[in-house]
Amino acid sequence: MIVVQQKPLDRIRQMIADYDKILILGCGTCATVSFAGGEKEVQALASILRMADKAKGGGKQFLEHTIKRQCEWEFVDEIEPMVKEVDAILSLGCGIGVQAIAQRFPDVPVLPGLDTCFMGLPQEHGLFSEMCAACGNCILDLTAGICPIARCSKSLLNGPCGGSHDGKCEVSPDLPCAWQLIIERLTKLGRLRELEDIKPPKDWSTSAAGGMRTIDRSDLRITSQDATPQGHEPN
Amino acid sequence: MADNSLRPPCQAACPIQQDVRGYINLIAEGEFDEALRTIRKTNPLPSVCGLICAHPCETECRRGQVDQPLAIAALKRFATEYGHDDGAEPQTGAKRAEKVAIIGSGPAGLTAAHDLARMGYGVTVFERGTAPGGALRAFIPEYRLPGEVLQKDIERIVALGVEIKTNSELGKDFTLSELKNEGYSAVVLALGLHLSRGLNISGVELDGVLLALPFLREAKLGAGKTVSGKRVIVIGGGNVAVDVARSALRLGAGEVHMACLEARDEMPAFAWEIEAALEEGVKLHCSKGPKSILCSETEVAGLECMEVKAVFDEEGRFNPTFYEEKVSALDGDVVIIAIGQAAELSFLEDTTIKLNQRGQLVFDPDTLATSEEGVFACGEVISGPGTAVQAMASGRQAALAVDCYLRGEQMAAPQPDGRKDVGELLATTAEEIKRLERREMPALALKERMGNFNLIELGYTEIQAVKEAQRCLRCGAGAEYLEDKCAACLTCVRVCPYGAPVATIAGSIDIRADQCQSCGICIVECPARAIVFRQGEDSQIRERVEAAVTEASLSGAEPVVIGLCCSYGAFATSAFAEFFRDNYKPGIRIVKIPCVVKIDTTHLLKAFELGADGVFVVGCLEEDCPYRMSTFWAERRVAAVKKNLDEIGLGGDRLEMYTLSDPTVQKFDEIVTEVTTRVRQLAPSPMRNRREEA
Repeated sequence: MIVVQQKPLDRIRQMIADYDKILILGCGTCATVSFAGGEKEVQALASILRMADKAKGGGKQFLEHTIKRQCEWEFVDEIEPMVKEVDAILSLGCGIGVQAIAQRFPDVPVLPGLDTCFMGLPQEHGLFSEMCAACGNCILDLTAGICPIARCSKSLLNGPCGGSHDGKCEVSPDLPCAWQLIIERLTKLGRLRELEDIKPPKDWSTSAAGGMRTIDRSDLRITSQDATPQGHEPN
Repeated sequence: MADNSLRPPCQAACPIQQDVRGYINLIAEGEFDEALRTIRKTNPLPSVCGLICAHPCETECRRGQVDQPLAIAALKRFATEYGHDDGAEPQTGAKRAEKVAIIGSGPAGLTAAHDLARMGYGVTVFERGTAPGGALRAFIPEYRLPGEVLQKDIERIVALGVEIKTNSELGKDFTLSELKNEGYSAVVLALGLHLSRGLNISGVELDGVLLALPFLREAKLGAGKTVSGKRVIVIGGGNVAVDVARSALRLGAGEVHMACLEARDEMPAFAWEIEAALEEGVKLHCSKGPKSILCSETEVAGLECMEVKAVFDEEGRFNPTFYEEKVSALDGDVVIIAIGQAAELSFLEDTTIKLNQRGQLVFDPDTLATSEEGVFACGEVISGPGTAVQAMASGRQAALAVDCYLRGEQMAAPQPDGRKDVGELLATTAEEIKRLERREMPALALKERMGNFNLIELGYTEIQAVKEAQRCLRCGAGAEYLEDKCAACLTCVRVCPYGAPVATIAGSIDIRADQCQSCGICIVECPARAIVFRQGEDSQIRERVEAAVTEASLSGAEPVVIGLCCSYGAFATSAFAEFFRDNYKPGIRIVKIPCVVKIDTTHLLKAFELGADGVFVVGCLEEDCPYRMSTFWAERRVAAVKKNLDEIGLGGDRLEMYTLSDPTVQKFDEIVTEVTTRVRQLAPSPMRNRREEA
């Protein structure tokens, strides 16, 4: 899932300063699961913002609504009548949601109430860890199901480096060394020998550096091919 | 308020479908008047039931799987003693022109009368005795059911417009055809079983041989044949036999022996009645069949018994067999026969009402109609011996039947409840539920029971009742999952202390209603607001908080302080309500919260948003709380909101959480003073100023 967290309140207040009537829009999927942008968080943030505004003598109005996913047009369409009523939308979705809203409603400012942090795993209630860097070329088969791209500070393909001490990364004593984990797991699987094969440099062309990536599934698409947004294919 | 709850086992087991969970939880929250009103919705004899109901609800109570069942009957009694409900019984139908005659004023007759009167019919009850109540009045000993308690229930039925004519015996003082001539459109025979069955053994003709029902009746009138100093032998093992034995003890019998056919575990009397009799000194002789009454000259000398081989035959029918050669004797001066009862129907011989070959009324089991047009029957006269609450259910059915008959409608088949029944409590869930010992009712000491017929059970005190009621598991009224809002985040699965929610293989969540304990943790923690209480407590709390702040703000008093206070345990007593909860100046409002674990961060924020200068939360101690983790969650949410208040400059010190143990609730006053003093030192909330200007 995409892991998000709420921006500092001051930053949010700064963003909304110029607007009088604001729709706080929650997202019912990843942002809800991240406890940052679900219906409950929308309700709480609206209450807090109303109070912060009143305390300063302001007269802002806040509308509250949550849709199932801000990254789907049909769900986004549903808020059109509300959008007409407001000066701005404070999105409690991830960066994808914010951009979808912006694209769908070109005339209304859309503000990010959340920071989109990473793709991660809820390790336990209230603890999320990054697990995937979306490099576009998965090598988890070679690394015992532990991703060195996302979890090694240097994204090394042939680790560990000299900064690995007692299983921890030199970046932080709390950060496990991904390569230590890979070695431990390969040992358990009886496949440690595989590390003797030096991995050649990874093809990073599928990763984020080349601008917006697009997957065009012509086998699935039913609209005109002209509608394709510009971007490079990740393969 | 929508009710999507499941039917709890207590209600399903009750012949008159009392909303047990409903009134128990009202008692737990100190709402005694409302508890009584809830009981009365389906029970015309609440005081009677509070004392003598056989309480099948307790047998089915799922708390029994954790420790012991709730003391439901005792709590009903408490509600009738502490609840005030002077309002008239609500009429359920428009006034009807037809009159209905009810013959017999026992539990069946009174229930039929009550229900028909509420439906709008004119009802007259004919009672052959000098006072109404049937067997309740005539036979149930005062130490179990004092006459004034019965009278209290009867007076409410009379207040509905029911006329009760005593000293009016059918077949002697009036006839069925006379009733019809007097304009009664329907008659309900609720005659009960007033004849004691005798025994056909030698010696029964002796003076010292008595029958159970006349003995009980005379004992109640205080003019019974004296058994004082005598050795009494009671034949029988049912509830009437136990009543006879215990009454004889109270009348001063030197020894009381009960001889019954059944083995100890087969005895038809209620287990608790047998226990009480043994405790009081009654000697039990099980598996003994009466052979003859022994006499010396003309006086009873004892009872000769045969050892019982089996009471029931292979098909389970009553068919006792004996070891004729195994004979024993019990010494005694008086023998009282309590082996069964029969209806007295001889007066029907001259009417068109049909009796079967065994002399019993012929009736339709669905419509309770007898063979005569417009004449119905209910209660023990058709069912045989049973419990009072079964007779009441039969009376209710008769009232419905009469109503259908008078409207010219077909009697509809009994309507199913419409709700799903709560299923089994899993052993794994039961293990997670806190053990809370059942509070046994205080009772008269043994020595205080003899020589009088005083009510033995003394009734709960308020704190005993609210603590006992708090043990209710609220079966079937817990969390309801709204699938279309669910983000499948699994929060509910992770926060539930009881393991009620589970992830399904299909990827959805199943909050197992049968396992849910209604604590509300998942409801508050769900980030998608995809869980609600089946009976709407979540929105009720929100409304209560908002109303309290609005009310306090409008009072103009300064400062506006809102307390969100646990409503269980010592907080549920009337003393707490009187001296603390409802006793503050207009600016201070205390909101009842059925466990502070149900408080949501947004409830707290809303209170401040609406203009509260200060808010405080008072919970009980974790060890007093029936729920698990309540303080942990409440404190965490308070801390989160304090942080929010600091962030927006309103100040986190406007919000505080406290816990008080049951014995220290009087410190509530100190908390209010402390919070009010602190809040007074702060600037008034800018939220409220804005409201006033607006």
